[in-house]
Amino acid sequence: MDFNWTDDERRFRDRVRAFLHRELPSDWAEVARHGPGSAEQTAFSRDFCPRLAAEGLLVPHWPAEWGGQGRPTWEHFILGEEMWAAGEPRGAQYMNVNWIGPTLMRYGSAEQQARYIPAMAAGNAIWCQGFSEPEAGSDLASLRTKAVPDGGGYVIDGQKIWTSYAGLAETCFLLARVPGAGDGKAAIAIFLVPMDTPGIEVRSIPSLIGHGDIHEVFLTGVRVPASARLGAEGEGWSIISYALANERVGIPRYELSSRTLSRMAARLKDEGRFDDPVIRARAGSAAAACEAARMLTYRAVSMRAKGQPAGPEANIARVAVVEADHAVSEFGMDFLPGAYTAGGGNGGADDAAILAHHERAIVAGIAAGAAEIQLDLVARRHLDLPRGAA
Amino acid sequence: MDFDPNDDQRAFLDVLEQMATGPDAAWGHDPDWKRYQWSPALDATLDENGFFDCAAEPDLGPVAGALMVMRLAELPVLVEAAASTLLRPRLAPDLPRPVAVMTGDGPAPFLPVARSVLRLAPDGVSAAVLDLGDVAAAESLFAYPFGQVGTPGAGWQAVDADPDTARDLWRVALAAELAGVLKGGLGAVLEHVRSRRQFGRPLGSFQAVQHRLAGASARIEGGAWMALRAAETGDAADAAQALGWMQASATRIVYDLHQFMGAMGLTLEHPLHRWTYRARWLKSALGGAEANLSLAAARTWGA
Repeated sequence: MDFNWTDDERRFRDRVRAFLHRELPSDWAEVARHGPGSAEQTAFSRDFCPRLAAEGLLVPHWPAEWGGQGRPTWEHFILGEEMWAAGEPRGAQYMNVNWIGPTLMRYGSAEQQARYIPAMAAGNAIWCQGFSEPEAGSDLASLRTKAVPDGGGYVIDGQKIWTSYAGLAETCFLLARVPGAGDGKAAIAIFLVPMDTPGIEVRSIPSLIGHGDIHEVFLTGVRVPASARLGAEGEGWSIISYALANERVGIPRYELSSRTLSRMAARLKDEGRFDDPVIRARAGSAAAACEAARMLTYRAVSMRAKGQPAGPEANIARVAVVEADHAVSEFGMDFLPGAYTAGGGNGGADDAAILAHHERAIVAGIAAGAAEIQLDLVARRHLDLPRGAA
Repeated sequence: MDFDPNDDQRAFLDVLEQMATGPDAAWGHDPDWKRYQWSPALDATLDENGFFDCAAEPDLGPVAGALMVMRLAELPVLVEAAASTLLRPRLAPDLPRPVAVMTGDGPAPFLPVARSVLRLAPDGVSAAVLDLGDVAAAESLFAYPFGQVGTPGAGWQAVDADPDTARDLWRVALAAELAGVLKGGLGAVLEHVRSRRQFGRPLGSFQAVQHRLAGASARIEGGAWMALRAAETGDAADAAQALGWMQASATRIVYDLHQFMGAMGLTLEHPLHRWTYRARWLKSALGGAEANLSLAAARTWGA
């Protein structure tokens, strides 16, 4: 066992940090305040990601034929830690890097690959994921949006909800049910749908988690060609499983939490309050939660780096990551309530960072499926407990 | 980063596993219904085969030592591993074992079966070889043989070691032992809820049970990796954090384990108490969760 970074990994992290230090503007904390899906951050990502690509830091882990350099899994992960901790200047494009691009490489047609992957590798493609529906949140397989075969293509009708990035995305990674193709998961197919296709209407939902991050998407008679379908009709669910497995350890949330906690501790020290044994023990507890999440995530990444499937290990890591995000957020609210009210904090970048962390933290247990789904999976796959009654 | 044991560690763990699943490691209730079951046979086998020296072996190291402490703590029987494996090689390799550890003047675990004792006082480390008559056994609710020592006949010898470093080694050892103890208890409860049926279903099929046990598992495994990292790095903040995390997690886990074992867990005929009453002592060690987490915070950000 070895819990140290190699020299190459350290150098890579330093390079990413130096790039961020050089490229992020002085008002970045304000830009990042409103979340990766905000108009501000999306606009910034359209300028930032091409620069990241030119530096070879957008998709270094992708194969060379798709614009990458075939760099190791750990470098991809370090990149994710640094970007998330910096407030995710890639905006929605982190999804392309982590899972949409790799999923298209594996399952896409030659035409789909040629159409979409180069734009992702160049840092100029905003996608949204059309998964959740009013009747299908964590229970994704019960989705109802229909894609009816019609004249060599499909006509899609239905509704998506809580969709991140939909307001500004060019393309949707959309799940729909093909009638007659079987029941449940077997009928689910994936469509890559340009958001300017007639019949798509997007409404922003005011939310607790940043400007313009959550949407409803209404699909009415949306006509797409058969070439928009990713994989075969019955293959949708296995493709989603592949994509979500990539997403589950995709966001190293503990890194931002850990750094935000350090900001909070520094603020409390400045105010002469860090001698308080209650505050110090709570800070230590939140820090330990971050490190537990870090170690469990690294274990899953370590397996992935060796080509081993990290199923239950990824599930257990996500449970810990959610707990860490909330521990830090609640620590801030308990001991630095002023930071969450105008005029109550120090008015500096710290306030924006603490607010931004809170809005990201409260999503942790919900996004990509409720944390309770992960607990179900840990119980069944890792603890070998019997499946519950239906 | 590599979370897999190296070849030497793997071979070591394989042999350890044979011993940990052998007859000397198996549960059997004590004829006098003692709350612990000291296994001199397993202790002797491990000792004769040099297992307690593993942390000093370059290809095995403190990580192998911490893994061994965890694995042995999972057993329903008791051997003295934490001090012998993670303290003795660094502080006083010539001390006869079993080794008890005192961090204050009161009763301490293992003293009645120990042949030596290490005293980790804030201002210095000392050691004593114990003779018959040095230790008075003490009744305790905790599932260790407890005893008290006054002035050992052979006297205390100063150990040339930094007292803070010694306590941090002990923190790692305690964190590893607590992770193992909770894992052992969790294993027993999992076995129970897989087979025990109520309301026509196995208890373990109820989501209320599943989620709490899955949460316990996440906390134990997170703490186990933190303890292993602390063993490898020797970092003072890592050590306090690993112990504090396991101690803070133990309260809820012990409660849940007993809840899911029901009345069976209140009897001495089932070994659950062997784990939970070790955990209950371990979670109080070196000031308990708040003290260790507070120390970790001070070490991370400055007091």
